[in-house]
Amino acid sequence: MMDMPKLSLIVSSDKVDKLLQAAILASTAAALNWQAELFFTFWGLLALREGSEQRAVSSEYAQYGKPLLEAIKSGSLPEWRDLLRKAREGGNVKIYACSTTLDTFGMKREHLEDFDEIVGAATFLSRAKDSDIVLYIS
Amino acid sequence: MTGKNSDIIVVDAKYKSCPGPIIELSEAVRKASAGQTVVLLATDPAAPADVEAWVGQVGHRLLQVSKQNDTYEIRIQVR
Repeated sequence: MMDMPKLSLIVSSDKVDKLLQAAILASTAAALNWQAELFFTFWGLLALREGSEQRAVSSEYAQYGKPLLEAIKSGSLPEWRDLLRKAREGGNVKIYACSTTLDTFGMKREHLEDFDEIVGAATFLSRAKDSDIVLYIS
Repeated sequence: MTGKNSDIIVVDAKYKSCPGPIIELSEAVRKASAGQTVVLLATDPAAPADVEAWVGQVGHRLLQVSKQNDTYEIRIQVR
């Protein structure tokens, strides 16, 4: 399984439209039997706070918020967190939380959920180095 | 070739946008046994191409794609 293709995503937004993009790509990668590694940093990390419910879309696309949330409510689109959680259960998806973000904003490990490790930039980059695809979602 | 009718697994992913059809198909296939036929029902216009790409990555066999009204019926065989 060492030669599985690998997708690395840097997620730096806590807006539902961005989180869903990240979750769609990561879960699809897992369905393709690829590995996916996601590095949640800055505002992305806010989305991993325990019990946080992301309902806001990016402000510049606020007018599309209603149809997006309706699509999620109707089930034609999944909840980003459910999608990512299920993909992670399969074992091919790893979620990393940025240590600097935790320090800077006074967040604690125990306030986060659905992640694998707290890491720094050097760890993420060294893991992402052999990725086939690296995307920044912001 | 495709086994008895009762062996066919139907995955109804109609009205689900991407990635719903592929996620549901891969979940069903994970539980299926080798040789079994899985039929995906989908209205997502990207579904036929997505399934083709998916089988190319995971190694199952695409048997047939047909369309009735707005619904694609995509048959694959589990390897």
